[in-house]
Amino acid sequence: MVNDLGRKLAKLAFEERGADMLLVMREEHGNVVPAMVPKGEDLGDVRLDIPYQLITILENIYPWVSKGRIAIITRRCDEKALAELVKRKYVDDKRIVRIGLACSEDQIRRCRCEDPVPSKVDLGEPHAAAKGDELISRLEKMSQQERLEFWAGQFKKCNKCFGCTLNCPVCFCDDDCVLEDRTFVAEPSVPPGLSFHMIRSYHMIDKCIECGECERSCPAEIPLLTMRKLLAKDMKELFKFRPGDEKTVSPLNTTLEGEQLEDGCDEC
Amino acid sequence: MSVEHVLTTCPYCGTGCNFFLQVVDGRLTSVVPCKTDEISLGRLCIKGYNAHAFVQHPDRLKNPMVREKGQLVKASWDQALDRIVKALKEIRDKHGPDSIVLLASAKCTNEENYVFQKLARAVLGTNNVDHCARLCHASTVTGLLYSFGSGAMTNTIPEFDGADCILVTGSNTLEAHPIIGSRMLRAKEKGAKIIVVDPRDTPLSRISHIHLSQRSGTDVAWINGMLKVIIDEGLADEEFVKARTTAFEDLKKVVESYTPEKVESITGIPKEKLVEAARLYARSKKAMIAYAMGITQHSNGTDLVKSIANLAMATGHIGKESTGVNPLRGQCNVQGACDSGGLPNLYPGYQRVDDEAVRAKFEKAWGVRLSPTPGLTLTRAMNDAMAGKVKAMVVFGENVMVSDPDLNHVEEALKKLEFLAVTDIFLTETAKMADVVLPAACYAEKDGTFTNTDRALRMLRKAVEPPGEARADWIIACDLGRRLGSKGFEFSSPADIMAEMATVTPIFAGITHERVDGKVLRWPVPDKDHSGTRILHVQKFTRGQGQFAPIEHTPPAEVVSEEYPFILTTGRNLFQYHTGTMTRRSPKLEREAPEPYVEIRGEDAKKLGIADGDRVSVSSRRGSITLKARVTDKIIEGTIFIPFHYAEAAANRLTNAALDPASDIPEFKVCAARIERA
Repeated sequence: MVNDLGRKLAKLAFEERGADMLLVMREEHGNVVPAMVPKGEDLGDVRLDIPYQLITILENIYPWVSKGRIAIITRRCDEKALAELVKRKYVDDKRIVRIGLACSEDQIRRCRCEDPVPSKVDLGEPHAAAKGDELISRLEKMSQQERLEFWAGQFKKCNKCFGCTLNCPVCFCDDDCVLEDRTFVAEPSVPPGLSFHMIRSYHMIDKCIECGECERSCPAEIPLLTMRKLLAKDMKELFKFRPGDEKTVSPLNTTLEGEQLEDGCDEC
Repeated sequence: MSVEHVLTTCPYCGTGCNFFLQVVDGRLTSVVPCKTDEISLGRLCIKGYNAHAFVQHPDRLKNPMVREKGQLVKASWDQALDRIVKALKEIRDKHGPDSIVLLASAKCTNEENYVFQKLARAVLGTNNVDHCARLCHASTVTGLLYSFGSGAMTNTIPEFDGADCILVTGSNTLEAHPIIGSRMLRAKEKGAKIIVVDPRDTPLSRISHIHLSQRSGTDVAWINGMLKVIIDEGLADEEFVKARTTAFEDLKKVVESYTPEKVESITGIPKEKLVEAARLYARSKKAMIAYAMGITQHSNGTDLVKSIANLAMATGHIGKESTGVNPLRGQCNVQGACDSGGLPNLYPGYQRVDDEAVRAKFEKAWGVRLSPTPGLTLTRAMNDAMAGKVKAMVVFGENVMVSDPDLNHVEEALKKLEFLAVTDIFLTETAKMADVVLPAACYAEKDGTFTNTDRALRMLRKAVEPPGEARADWIIACDLGRRLGSKGFEFSSPADIMAEMATVTPIFAGITHERVDGKVLRWPVPDKDHSGTRILHVQKFTRGQGQFAPIEHTPPAEVVSEEYPFILTTGRNLFQYHTGTMTRRSPKLEREAPEPYVEIRGEDAKKLGIADGDRVSVSSRRGSITLKARVTDKIIEGTIFIPFHYAEAAANRLTNAALDPASDIPEFKVCAARIERA
């Protein structure tokens, strides 16, 4: 049986915006379950209070779903994740229908989110941004040595589940993940050591849209979102760049494509 | 085009995490964690995230096979099943029903295990039904039945969050039960103190507050030592002991001589640390004990489990929220395979086969006469096969040719059988020796329930079709039952089987698939309105009064000698699982831990001229294997460790099949070994 939210969503996605299917969450088996519902099918008991990372789910199935327009619930961070995907042509923008969800106050507080309102609010009430991250304030008062010890202590809990990469909407190297490369991360190592986390940190620095899914997925509850926020701050200060905008290009991207090579250089 | 997210249960350890199998047009694309699952909280370990990887692997068995002129050749289901039926009938008629052994499976569902044991008991006429619980927690079942009257986790996984102190022994929790380990980390963040007693340095011990490294095989000594400190310092819960238990005076007498000095000399644990740990555990308001194979897999495993129970009862840390004795079960459904009667002395629900009233109940329900004699355990069955007394084995989803101790002996025993039938998802080392091989559906291809380690019923929901002609084990077993002439196998679905099981199994009486589908229920569930039991032994113990057991330290069955100067201990690593049938076909898991190795301490390695990465040969009185040395400071001097996942250098070629007399569990954790450069 479809609930009120489901009716509203069906109207928005299928009637008004012409989607062929909708990626949403609903109640089943006493749990909240992600579901891809084709147009015309009952949406069921829709639930939007559990923060599934739908963009990651979309990415997993996208290569196999060759036809049709897919509607998807998009929070502000999801919009930004989509921008990063569209920019890299992982997803065809024309096939995506965005249904903007304004996050609840509680969710904003949990994410210490500074940018919680999507560009178009279709569902939920817009709420104010959170006022900073309490852990950042604590870390900023520490000496460099203390901060290092804090993070080393956190990373010692890592059990190498790869949840932070698997659930991340903007981590898309698939089978060539450098974290699985023995050169960088030695095999007999649980916890995997600092290099594992440092490599991941810098790999994501021009893509991370601070959705917090890495932190939520972490069985060791390492405050990964706080680390992301600290890195994002550096990125903003050093390069005046924030990921999540389709029109901007990462300052870390250098490419020789289309550029005139200097005369006499034929070694490469 | 169809996209589905099928909520189901992880096929690896006993934590019972639920997750979604993502299916696009019949193709498994990934695993998505379930955020509302009360057990996993939307987190998984690396094995869980890769649980889809082996399902559609090209090596999956797709057709039945029968042995013709020494070779396994493709056959029809009718040919294969007829062959099994003919062989079993002939052997039963010639040598009697007890010459046949059926192995149930901790990888199969409750419903399937119920059908397996019914097949053995009601159709073949023997109680010779057992499974790999014999190799992991058989001593928990015997030990805790003695002490408390119920052989399962007394408390639940979510309760670890709320403990003030967690004593973990013989469990490498973060590697073997990662999501339970993460609960322990959570508790620690909230201020709980973690005590780890383990001869190895494990990911958990490295972040524990107190780590005691005992010599393998000396556990009774440190537990008695802690009990002495607790009693001498007045830290025992006198009120609880008086009201709820018996035989405390006997225990007092025995532990009296276990002074910290004596314990140090036996175990190598510094006396100050022992005292500190004893005080911490006893003084904490809510203290939980978690243990696993490091306690159970000893030739005095049952005594060790009883000792753990002594510790909890003496301090009153049982029968309350965030306390108790918590054996962490290793397989997805090893708890359930025991619950469902896959044991030679117990019907479903731990009802004894030698209890006349119980037997009469099952005879009435099944409409047949049943054998009053407890059957052979898995480990005894191998000995009897060797001796020519067991003639046939029917194996469902067990790979005894890697998992059992002293494999050379197992191999010889299996070769002596007149008939061996194996049902599995891959052509395992055991299946390769069979006369008939049947292809089974795996966890992702069928419905049913598992019981996880904290007694919760977890649903399996079919996500994809089995490959080729493979069938679910319950369908195969029911077919065999019918072909052997029985009328009791007309089940239409796993839910139908559960309905019958509930009528004869008091702890499952209130369980139906419909109820379990939407709600976490933990047994005992005595009726349809009961919402399950989170904490056992709250008002009284299942057996009435808690029973203390006075136990003396005894040395392990095999001690070091000049020829075999090292203690060899075995276990799991994070990335592989058991005999590797599934994980070694999962590329990301295999990449993380691709080859067998032996851990040896730096000082020991230096003396023997062994460097990290060297090929070494490890030998025991039973065999020898060659593998890579991993020189580490994570293990104590004089002890070496080999993970048991790798068939190419199977640790169980070396292990000792010395059995605990009460439970028949083998001593996997201690044998004497020699290591040298290969």
